[in-house]
Amino acid sequence: MPAPKEKPAITTYGDYEVIVPPHELRKAAVPVEPGEPEDDPVARAEAALAELSSEFAGWMDSECERLDRARHEVKAKGFIKQTHEELFHAAHDIKGEAATFGFPAVAAAAGSLCRLIEHTPDMKRIPMKLIDQHVDAVRAIHREYARSDAREVAEKLTSRLRAVTDDFLVDENRHRPEYLDDIFGPPLAPTDTV
Amino acid sequence: MIRIDFNRLRFLVIDDNAHMRRIVRTLLHGFGAREVYEAEDGAAGLESFTHYMPDIVLTDWAMPIFDGLELTQMIRQPGANANPYAPIIMLTGHSEKKRVTAARDAGVTEFLAKPISAKALYQRIVNVVANPRPFIKTKTYFGPDRRRNVNPNYVGPERRRGGKADVIRQQPLLEKAKAPG
Repeated sequence: MPAPKEKPAITTYGDYEVIVPPHELRKAAVPVEPGEPEDDPVARAEAALAELSSEFAGWMDSECERLDRARHEVKAKGFIKQTHEELFHAAHDIKGEAATFGFPAVAAAAGSLCRLIEHTPDMKRIPMKLIDQHVDAVRAIHREYARSDAREVAEKLTSRLRAVTDDFLVDENRHRPEYLDDIFGPPLAPTDTV
Repeated sequence: MIRIDFNRLRFLVIDDNAHMRRIVRTLLHGFGAREVYEAEDGAAGLESFTHYMPDIVLTDWAMPIFDGLELTQMIRQPGANANPYAPIIMLTGHSEKKRVTAARDAGVTEFLAKPISAKALYQRIVNVVANPRPFIKTKTYFGPDRRRNVNPNYVGPERRRGGKADVIRQQPLLEKAKAPG
């Protein structure tokens, strides 16, 4: 007969409750036995990722093709909800994945495109030329990544795109200064610390 | 001294991008996990959550049907599913302050901005295993205690009424887990 399930401990205060759920994940915290060989799970995971890395260039190709298709869909159908979401998701995925795939310089250009799409109040006002410049930059940086000056050129290109995007966003959001404070504030999320 | 035995944990990875699911699965297997389930959108994720009853959920934010934030709100419904207390780690390309705050207010346990690294993901998992936070239930919130630290410089009204239990001490297991083997 299985042991009865442990219940959370609930303490009620003025207008709130503090609930201490059963610590079920304690099962995974196990004592290190004397003489047990030293373990480095992070190194093991990094090694596993390195084994997978031969596939990353191909994955990056397919992500860039997806972004290009999304751009052409916008041109064909206009900025409607579906094309807007597809373009944003394609750019957003590249922003999040490019560094993991070994192409960190691609991420910044994709990030600038995400910013342009996300923070423009009326998407129909986004100049198609600016979208084209971003998509072409993402694809070109990836295509020319093997060049010795690729990162330097990518940085200049992305800085210029970001500056033009920011000028456009300032103008488009001039009626809501608090929103501008939010989007020009520093990011809060940590990436590699607890 | 303790270590985390990943083989005793069941994970659910929810991301609409197959490449990212493969990356996360590879990292989890590298840590030693065997049971890793996947779902490709919020709806499938909720179904898998109910079916597999994972110990830890790792979810993307931007997904079709419903997103990672909505998924978190659905999991954090007391009485609506078997484990509203499941740790939820949000892996996302969003890193702006308002996004982090929204994730926290939906009941996300840990937040990790992409690009993810093995070290950062490992630290988040160690934190939810070794250092679980109590849950707080108010009229407008149900989720892990959002107050991780005492802020001696805080000036303003006390938003929780009820006195001395306002700040809940964290369990010290984390420090043991982090100590070198």
